[in-house]
Amino acid sequence: MNHPATRAIVGTMENDNANDPRIRARDAATRMLNRITAGVAFGAIASIGLFGAVSAFTIPGVVSSTQGATASVSTSGSTSSSALQSSSTTVSSSSSSGVAVSGVAVSGGS
Amino acid sequence: MNNTALWYTTRGAGAVSLVLLSAVVVLGVLSTLRYESPTWPRFLTTGLHRNIALTAVVFLALHIVTAVVDPFTHLGWLAAVVPFSSYYRTFWLGLGTIAFELLLAITATSLVRGLIGHAAWRAIHWLSYASWPIAVLHGFGTGTDTLSTWMLAIDGICIAAVAGSVAARVMFRSPDPLAADRARFRERVSRKVVK
Repeated sequence: MNHPATRAIVGTMENDNANDPRIRARDAATRMLNRITAGVAFGAIASIGLFGAVSAFTIPGVVSSTQGATASVSTSGSTSSSALQSSSTTVSSSSSSGVAVSGVAVSGGS
Repeated sequence: MNNTALWYTTRGAGAVSLVLLSAVVVLGVLSTLRYESPTWPRFLTTGLHRNIALTAVVFLALHIVTAVVDPFTHLGWLAAVVPFSSYYRTFWLGLGTIAFELLLAITATSLVRGLIGHAAWRAIHWLSYASWPIAVLHGFGTGTDTLSTWMLAIDGICIAAVAGSVAARVMFRSPDPLAADRARFRERVSRKVVK
């Protein structure tokens, strides 16, 4: 490509092709293809969020406390787990302000 | 990510996958009609068909992965690979597995079309007419939102679009730009054979 004659030929070919209406139409269509593809991909990602939100709003699933569920009581720096029914420690006896109890089950389908 | 977020993502990705797959089928059918205009060359239809198909595979993979790793259902990876091996909604999930594997076969053979030849590719590509309805049935059978108004609307639009495109293909035969040349060639060949 360093040869002057080669550069001249390539340059001429590029200029001629760029003015060809068919080439311009093809390039425009290729750009449109890329734009539509990107739009579809981003739209699909946004739609997952939208449909997920709508599905969560319409059928959020049943959240209920389960008798046999495991309670996890977190205090500062230590965590102890025990069954609710057999627990000898009540939540109200915790001296920590940050008490988290988990014992819920979420049911639903696919 | 908690269980409900996975569950909502599975449902959202399932709906998006259905829309994308329907668009792929519609574009595939329309590409056989050879529609083109000055602003819409024919390769745009086939290019979109290919690109959206690859996008659909990605979103379908998301739908499957989020369903498998959701601890509520405990589906396991085997159910995503072997049809009818899931303990949970065995038949309907099995349909989804079959639809996904057909789609994988169609996509893979399209990517290596040059190697397997046009006839084999075309034969396998006809499986898409089976894959899409199976996927729709999977959604109807196991979808949590099947009876929700918004999901019924999506189903209706997708089915109408695919049915409309198939009807258009049946009613309007694709124009063969070389039909006259082929006829002349056949006529000349038959004349030489008679002589």
